[in-house]
Amino acid sequence: MTRLIRAAAMVTGICTIAVFFMMLILGWPLFSHGHLLALLVGGWNPGSGQFGILPMIAGSTAIAGGALLVGTPLSLGVAFVTAVFARGRIRRVLLSCVRLMSGVPTVVYGFVALIYLVPFIRSQFHSGSGFSILTSSLVLGLLISPTMIVLFVSALDGVDPRARRAAAALGATPAQRLLYLQLSEALPGLLSGVVMGLGRAMGDTFISLMLAGNSINMPGGVLESARTLTAHIALVMAVDFHSLEFQSIYLCGFVLYLFTFMLVLILRAVNHRFQRGRVQ
Amino acid sequence: MKRFAELLLVIFSWLALLVFAASFLSIFVVLLLRVRGLDAVSLFFGDTPPVDALLHGLPVFDGIYPALLGTVSVVMVAVLCAVLPGIFTGIYLAEFAGPWAHRIVNLLVDVLAGLPSIVVGLAGFSFMVLLHNLFPGAPGPCMAWSALALGFLVLPYLVRTTETALQAIPAELRRTAPTLGATKVQNIFFVLLPFRAKDLLGGVILATGRAAEDTAVIMLTGVVASAPGMHSLFKQFEALPFYIYYMSSQYRDLAELQYGFGASVTLLLLCGLFFAAAFLLQSYVSFRFRGSSWLQK
Amino acid sequence: MVEQLSFSLGGRELLHDISMEVEENIVCAVTGPSGSGKTTFLSLLNRLSEEEEGGEVCGRIRMVLDGKLVDIHRHLTPSMLRRKVAMVFQNPDPLPMSIRRNIAFPLRLRGWKRGKIAERTEEVLRMAHLYDEVKERLNIDARRLSGGPQQRLCIARALAGEPEILLLDEPTSSLDREAADKIETLIEELGKKRTVILVSHHEAQIKRVASQVWRMEDGRLSVVE
Repeated sequence: MTRLIRAAAMVTGICTIAVFFMMLILGWPLFSHGHLLALLVGGWNPGSGQFGILPMIAGSTAIAGGALLVGTPLSLGVAFVTAVFARGRIRRVLLSCVRLMSGVPTVVYGFVALIYLVPFIRSQFHSGSGFSILTSSLVLGLLISPTMIVLFVSALDGVDPRARRAAAALGATPAQRLLYLQLSEALPGLLSGVVMGLGRAMGDTFISLMLAGNSINMPGGVLESARTLTAHIALVMAVDFHSLEFQSIYLCGFVLYLFTFMLVLILRAVNHRFQRGRVQ
Repeated sequence: MKRFAELLLVIFSWLALLVFAASFLSIFVVLLLRVRGLDAVSLFFGDTPPVDALLHGLPVFDGIYPALLGTVSVVMVAVLCAVLPGIFTGIYLAEFAGPWAHRIVNLLVDVLAGLPSIVVGLAGFSFMVLLHNLFPGAPGPCMAWSALALGFLVLPYLVRTTETALQAIPAELRRTAPTLGATKVQNIFFVLLPFRAKDLLGGVILATGRAAEDTAVIMLTGVVASAPGMHSLFKQFEALPFYIYYMSSQYRDLAELQYGFGASVTLLLLCGLFFAAAFLLQSYVSFRFRGSSWLQK
Repeated sequence: MVEQLSFSLGGRELLHDISMEVEENIVCAVTGPSGSGKTTFLSLLNRLSEEEEGGEVCGRIRMVLDGKLVDIHRHLTPSMLRRKVAMVFQNPDPLPMSIRRNIAFPLRLRGWKRGKIAERTEEVLRMAHLYDEVKERLNIDARRLSGGPQQRLCIARALAGEPEILLLDEPTSSLDREAADKIETLIEELGKKRTVILVSHHEAQIKRVASQVWRMEDGRLSVVE
């Protein structure tokens, strides 16, 4: 039985590593076709042999960044209310509601936004089709909020209750406790939450697929259309399997895998570093 | 100046809550409004009589029943596949892993948790193609592949839930069975796991909910827009999330659009139920991060 | 001045019909067996009980603050009250910052300027007989101090904002004899300039420092001396 348990863990680990190698090996023809650098910084023009994924990297970065810009303040605010400003029952209800919101399926966000938000953006800004970085970032920011809120609340609550009590006994209002004690103490947790949100935003496929327009050009502004690495994978799936064009999706997968790995390491570093700064 | 900042903080926070609540409320209101007047029977079964569809397996062409059935089926099979490896890996991390093994497996589980679902789908797809090239008789895109890939996707949920649940067991409880002569394995399976059964079940349901909403993985491994006949493991199938996505770009008239909304509400209810059940069961939201990730969707 | 105060939490009545009048500038002790409600009573005096949810208060508590008699529930917000009524707990609870910033904390809340804060810091550390001990290391993390000095720091911190009433909840029970002695002397001194309400079950301690003693038993209060 012990062997079975160990085997299960090995299988899990091996499969995860296997995915990495799959991306690498299956994308190899593309790697050897052109310089890796050219692929990463070049433009996408399969007709003339250009398989650079830079527009997609830019698209992913822009949309994920935008999502963070929208989602982080929103989540922080709601977390502040939930953890600090609201009392007893309201707080519990709020937290339950937020947790429930994290169960809303991505496609549902996309569908509703497609029918309502896209035309709205189109009419408000008079430029573009409504499918843009702005549209996706707004929706994606909302989508990642419940997850971030729960993490932020957890971080704020994790601040030593005795310290919080001491601050209260000294006459600090809830806002003052938050500003002068909890924020600095909870910082590692808050940062982790943001990093998680980033990971989630970069990894999303359907919001950008449905709302960002999927243009292959480098995006020039927030109202322009863009294509993410994830959407690119979804779109190019229909092409001939053995073509170089198809292989570009493995390159995207490879980049995404590396990015995920990096985020995991960053998260570990954030937590580790702040642990050491504590005096006990 | 300081007073001002404190006041601003309070105002900002409540404003954020307002925006947050309003956004979600508007989504729900929109969904409810668009679904009004929609006949449930025709939404699900199209022109086919429900009884025939349910009992005799008559194909349904214009309804979302096959998609609903497809989602439920693939998700159940996926979780079935993932439960054993997931829980065992969690047990391994909590009880058996040495320091290096723990670090490595932990890291890999975190990576898997963070991988974009489409990358997992791509891996599944590639594996399927490779197998097909090696063994020409191997199945092409079908429910089985989707289930396997989905199972792989939600594995981290099960691992983390099990690991944290086991780690939270107080020391006194751990010592009881061994002092009575039980082996480590017996302790785990007869005492520790049952003690945490509620959390484990919660984790399983959470994984189910996550699998139900996923679109990317199934899109690359077996789901299609139309598969009205009886479902089988080795045939392509329909699923709610993909139906919604497909409908979003392919709807031809308001009626079809409304079906899209109907499917959205159905999927929302389904996932909502799963998540609610999972949170009710879990006594302690244990996704803390010691360098380990809150699970990505 | 407490009038007919009752307090319930979660359906249970923890304090029954308590009435108490305390003179100014003395040390008043409240003693009694564990669980009798002493700490709960104390936390009602600075409304810290409201940080936990669910408590119900009946009756009035009035105090003379800033020369005026006020009802602490009707005329003040909790944080305003706590600036005048300070509290020190059984286990020292330094904030996770340096000694200097611990003392500065309540003063920053009140908007004091840096110069005034530095002055007051020294003043209050001297009052707590702590200055000489820590003057060279004001910037070290307060949690690195040992028990006795930590508690004196907490007292100093509580004094920083010039409270008129000081609530002490068994301040020496987690300390050794020597450290406790120092604090008892301190309490005596403090009682001369402000009202101190001390919860303790140390007979000797009470005899030594208190001029008025009340006894709390099962949520009921009675005067002893």
